[in-house]
Amino acid sequence: MMNPTIELNGLEVQLGGRTILHGLTGILRSRAIGLLGPNGAGKSTLINTLLGFHAPSKGSVRVLGLDSHADAQALRSLVGYMPENDAFIAKMSGVRFVRYMAEISGLPSAQAMERAHEAFVYVGLGEARYRPVGTYSLGMKQLAKLAQAIAHGPKLLILDEPTNGMDPPARKRLIELIREIREASDICLLLSSHLLRDVEETCDEVLILRNGKIASICNLVEERRANRKFLELETIGAEATFTTTLEALGCECAVFADGRIKVVMPDKVEIREVFKVAADKGVQIRRMNHRRDSLEDIFLNAMEQTGAADGRI
Amino acid sequence: MAVYKRRYAPYTGSLTPEWSRFFVLTRFAFAELFKSRFFVLLLILSLVPCLVFAAYIFIANNRTVQSLLPLAPADLFSVEARYFTVIVIVQTQVAFLLNCWVGPVLIAGDLTNGALPLFLSRPFKRSDYVLGKLSVLVLLLSAVTWVPCLLLFSLQAGLARNGWIWSHLWMIVPIVLCSGIWILMLSLLSLAVSAWVKLRIVATGVIFVTFFVPTGLGEMFNSIMGTHWGRLLNFSDMFRLILAQGFREQSASGILGPMGWNEIPVPAAWGVLILLCLLSLVILNARLRAREAVRG
Repeated sequence: MMNPTIELNGLEVQLGGRTILHGLTGILRSRAIGLLGPNGAGKSTLINTLLGFHAPSKGSVRVLGLDSHADAQALRSLVGYMPENDAFIAKMSGVRFVRYMAEISGLPSAQAMERAHEAFVYVGLGEARYRPVGTYSLGMKQLAKLAQAIAHGPKLLILDEPTNGMDPPARKRLIELIREIREASDICLLLSSHLLRDVEETCDEVLILRNGKIASICNLVEERRANRKFLELETIGAEATFTTTLEALGCECAVFADGRIKVVMPDKVEIREVFKVAADKGVQIRRMNHRRDSLEDIFLNAMEQTGAADGRI
Repeated sequence: MAVYKRRYAPYTGSLTPEWSRFFVLTRFAFAELFKSRFFVLLLILSLVPCLVFAAYIFIANNRTVQSLLPLAPADLFSVEARYFTVIVIVQTQVAFLLNCWVGPVLIAGDLTNGALPLFLSRPFKRSDYVLGKLSVLVLLLSAVTWVPCLLLFSLQAGLARNGWIWSHLWMIVPIVLCSGIWILMLSLLSLAVSAWVKLRIVATGVIFVTFFVPTGLGEMFNSIMGTHWGRLLNFSDMFRLILAQGFREQSASGILGPMGWNEIPVPAAWGVLILLCLLSLVILNARLRAREAVRG
């Protein structure tokens, strides 16, 4: 089994006398972890705690086996961080800014310069690298922040709302980059976002926070594997024989009023076969809705569960 | 992650020692400073008084040149402790002006653009950050205070007759020590102001206000209470008091202005300057956070 990427042991964080994170407990083992939650759920506070910016008032959190508070310096040497808000040095050229950050991370000057150029070209800002960062558009600033986060070759990349303020093509490009980075090396990824699609496209596991508590920890890979197809049917003339025949094929059926039937389909059964059974039994299918459980369902389900604890769904 | 490959690759090379990384900030700050022509001009002008002092020392040790001057009584050119006291006073005032130009931009720029989390999310402590920024001012102000003073001291030692250096060697301590406390106080104060006020012009104004308003308040306190302890708020005078004691001055005339020689004990003057340094550190500690806690 993979070593845990993040271990939360009753983590509680208080800021300004207010408890923001309430005893978070859970283990996240995947290489790409998504952090989801509505505004004010505590996502950024959790990230800041992982980076050692906030000390836990109770409990602890270990990242890549290191305590976020006691081993903060060692942990930070493994991390690349892309903050949510504007974070740059306006007067510096893009490449100089990234070089500066790489040197602070410990790269010798020449290597830092080389990596800064490479990172800038890699994120697609090669043409703009000699322009002052202050003159960049919002999307370019996001990419420059990504470049500074990867230039020193971190083991864990923490991205806080990376696609904020980006137009759809730029967002798509950034998501592709994140996936490439993830696949090109053994780098771990923690991506915080309120955009479910961003997380769904890049992460293997999600931690859903709500009001500073864990609403759910969900392994998306397992979830995708176990995910079943649902059919929602509106029928006319459906008798018991119709559902019995479907059940004989391996489907699970639930019959409701007005001819509405919900069918859970096993992988081996195709929708075509449902139509065939309906034709055989003289059943009219007036409407069919076919879908899989998405991250949105998982998220909404977690949000609906009031007082949801650390359980897996 | 070679440019032509356009693929991400982790870094596997060597790393610099952690203790040396604060100097990256210093190096980059100097590089930015020297891009400004105004700064270079200001720096050159800061060293002009030293050339005048050097010329004086040269004349004081050269009888031929003295004989060419219309008025040259031999005792007019005396290079003793008082002369070096004046050099230190002039150069520390020059340092104050230089500091007012350079200091306010050092931290304010990073705070305005939210760059602090980028620094502090790396293996880089807040103390490293302060040390890096402090080094900029310490090196710069040293270059216009004790370093030229020591060069002038060396020049005098070289030009004077044998024995001068040994009888005046003790002056190296007050030159370095007094310049040191002044540099430290100015640097910490301007960093604290820079961390507090984001606009350069306002920050420069606040530095001036920090020096001149307490002086006025102190004088008011003295007038109302009929005491002289209000002078403790005159930081320049406190520095001169320390300087005068360091250079074994026997009278205050020409150094301490209207201030009496024994009005304020020297340890109290030290206390005020050290307190100002500590206060600046407290402000820096409060302001230099990767994230601010929202109280509620």
